[in-house]
Amino acid sequence: MGFLHLFIVNKSGGLILHRSLGPRAPSIGTNDWLRIGSTFHSLHAIAAEASPVRLPKNKNPSGADDGIQQIEGSGVTLKCLQTRTGIKFVLTAEPGTTDIDTALREIYVLYADCALKDPFYELEMPIRCELFTSAVDNLIERLEQSKMSAVR
Amino acid sequence: MATSKCSQAGQQLWAKMPKVGGYTRLCFAWSVIGFLVHTNSSYRITHQANAELFALTYGSLVTELVRDHEDPIEVNKQLDKIGKSIGVRCVDEFLAKADVAGLGLASQCQSLRDTAEVVARMGFRMFLGVGAECGAFSQDQKSFSIYFHDNPLSTFVELPPAGDDQMGDDLRKLKYSNIYCGIIRGALEQVNLKVDVTLVQCTLKGDEVNEIRVELKEVLADGAGDDYKEE
Repeated sequence: MGFLHLFIVNKSGGLILHRSLGPRAPSIGTNDWLRIGSTFHSLHAIAAEASPVRLPKNKNPSGADDGIQQIEGSGVTLKCLQTRTGIKFVLTAEPGTTDIDTALREIYVLYADCALKDPFYELEMPIRCELFTSAVDNLIERLEQSKMSAVR
Repeated sequence: MATSKCSQAGQQLWAKMPKVGGYTRLCFAWSVIGFLVHTNSSYRITHQANAELFALTYGSLVTELVRDHEDPIEVNKQLDKIGKSIGVRCVDEFLAKADVAGLGLASQCQSLRDTAEVVARMGFRMFLGVGAECGAFSQDQKSFSIYFHDNPLSTFVELPPAGDDQMGDDLRKLKYSNIYCGIIRGALEQVNLKVDVTLVQCTLKGDEVNEIRVELKEVLADGAGDDYKEE
């Protein structure tokens, strides 16, 4: 059990960050990442259109656009947090990993705190913020450690 | 007296900043204001020192803009623009932190009335440490006002009386706290609400209360769009 990858997609479908979070994460090339980001963005939009249930104004209960919230496979779990401003935070993890939702919400806070407050960070552009990436690493480490101690 | 000394010091500090061009200056202004406006729990500007630095920094920014542009109307525009670039960023912090605090904002904001409540009561409290009220909804529920008494930006400010110096007459047209309008406009635009925001009353001009009027222009659509669906 453990986190594998984090990627962030901006509101127009561009990948703005991808990061592997553990030694067991498969390595994926940058071009593939860009493809994954925009494919996921499209699938998210299509999923909402394809859904037989139309939510009022197409908004899910948390107020963001409806779409993919979770994908499960036997080897991977993917969860997506779409914010009201249209950014998608996506985490993949091994099945059985807990705290994915917490991690996503915390990452959103870190994004607001570390990336958005950098005056030289341009909205919608790739995040090249060491403060942010190291904060994410710390967060994941903290979550994995607390899980370890819970198991013991 | 201490106040004017402080603002002089602020201006001197400001004068030492590298001035490559308008953009650099705005970046710097944005970084300082951004740092102060976007308060972490550890940097709450309710701390006196921070609140003063905040007010002084903003003051030096405004005076610099007045010197650069001379026309107060243009200064108002610039402040609105700077505010917008703050707003489009700080809305995410607001949403992220409200979510983590379990306030369930999204389910609350069903109508503009709810949005008004959230902006006034929670937004102002979170970023400025002052409470604000909303009211004066129009008949069609498309515009409302935000009222607040304590304005942390104008703690030390006195607008010069008319005819005091070469600028005095003009400065009555300056909307000193116009940055709020930009911030609200930018923040609401990020959640798909296109609004017009104006500062209609200002305690600096002798009004009893600060009033910001917000008018909803349209709700922007996102997602696949209606054209696409019809095909």
